[in-house]
Amino acid sequence: MEGDKTLATSASTKAVEEESLAALNMDEAILSQRRGIEEQIASEQQYLVSSTRELSELERDYQHHGEFSARIQELKLIYGCLRRTRADGNCFYRAFGFSVFEALRKNKAAYQAFRKSITEAKEYLVIIGYPTFTLEDFYENFIEELDKVCDGEGCPISQLEELFNDKGMSNYLVVFLRLITSSQLQKEQDFFINFIDGYSTVKEFCSQEIEPMDKESDHVQMNALTSATGVCMRVFCMERGQYSTVTFPSDGKPIIHLLYRPGHFDILYPSADATADSPTL
Amino acid sequence: MANIAAQRIQREFREVIKSEEVAKCHIKLELKNDEYTELKGEIAGPPDTPYDGGVFQLDIIIPETYPFNPPKVKFITKIWHPNISSVTGAICLDILKDQWAAAMTLRTVLLSLQALLSAAEPDDPQDAVVARQYKEQQSVFRQTAKHWTYIYAKGPHREAELEAKVSQLRGMGFEEHKARVALSTCDWNIQRATDHLIS
Repeated sequence: MEGDKTLATSASTKAVEEESLAALNMDEAILSQRRGIEEQIASEQQYLVSSTRELSELERDYQHHGEFSARIQELKLIYGCLRRTRADGNCFYRAFGFSVFEALRKNKAAYQAFRKSITEAKEYLVIIGYPTFTLEDFYENFIEELDKVCDGEGCPISQLEELFNDKGMSNYLVVFLRLITSSQLQKEQDFFINFIDGYSTVKEFCSQEIEPMDKESDHVQMNALTSATGVCMRVFCMERGQYSTVTFPSDGKPIIHLLYRPGHFDILYPSADATADSPTL
Repeated sequence: MANIAAQRIQREFREVIKSEEVAKCHIKLELKNDEYTELKGEIAGPPDTPYDGGVFQLDIIIPETYPFNPPKVKFITKIWHPNISSVTGAICLDILKDQWAAAMTLRTVLLSLQALLSAAEPDDPQDAVVARQYKEQQSVFRQTAKHWTYIYAKGPHREAELEAKVSQLRGMGFEEHKARVALSTCDWNIQRATDHLIS
């Protein structure tokens, strides 16, 4: 009797050990799968932010989904061309950053206002106890690049393309935009808590969905980042059955335009004057 | 990319060196090479825990994509804790996985690990054997963790009864560490530990 019991306990201990090992292997497998997907995306999309492209290029994305061609025709009525961004989970921040820098480069007043807003957003994070050591680093880098882009007559568009396609530099800017978004969400947490599913606090949502790299964005992020920066943004939302446009804030005059397809953002240029270098703002 | 990582570590290293926690001997950071890609960390076991008075060494590898991706950290010092593998030293901690953010630093990591030693999360275990003991036999867990701290982390608190059991199994010809693992795994039941070692 006693022996049987010992054997049974020993077997169950073994089972727990094996389970533990399996969990470890599972972690490894998930990590390696994620790396695989990242590499595949990077090999298909060499750019982080592409050159300007024809809107008709979008038709290739939907060869077997006829209903989208109607959406693309609707898009063409308003917009002239687009820039694609890499689908790495950071596309919203990258698309936002690129188009804001591009828009501010020829608009001194908006540039100064933007500079002031992001400084205030950073200050708020300092107040609520974020580590100044890294925060200041991302802030200073962001300001430095912004100033370079907007200085004097504004930098050539090629310089902006280069900046946003240098992975390290580009990600540095993305990190800061994530921090600004987090700052706004926490500052207005009584409001934003109503739009967050599955998290008990806004702080928790920020540390799991906003601040880590590669986490995708949606309506809440769009709302927070535009209100923190005072940038007016119009988003063309393209879904299977319909399209809609949303402007943040709804009564503003948009200076940047993004294309939203579920899970992904690209940059759009209105068609009135759709050349790459001077989109109508 | 690699350049961003190296510059950042250089600055972090200077920040940690002059931090209050280093002055109080709570944490420590050492460079292992000139490229700033490998470091050795050290944390003191927090008071009022079985790890009190122990010194735990950590292996820290900085990926090329740092700070956008987390450092790879594991315990070199053997430790008995639900969220740390007693075999490999691998750590289950959210900020070392999908909740890492570029605004965090090695200092954040070391302090978070210290906090993990104070507050284990047995429902999200790295070591299922330890986690089960933690949940089902809290006092055995505490004794075991204290014993491991004394043996591997220069801790001050001895557990004479447990040491005697390890000696007993050594006397039967089993290797010391293997004997300790088997006994720890089997809640210090000599009979079961022996069966475990033989099976």
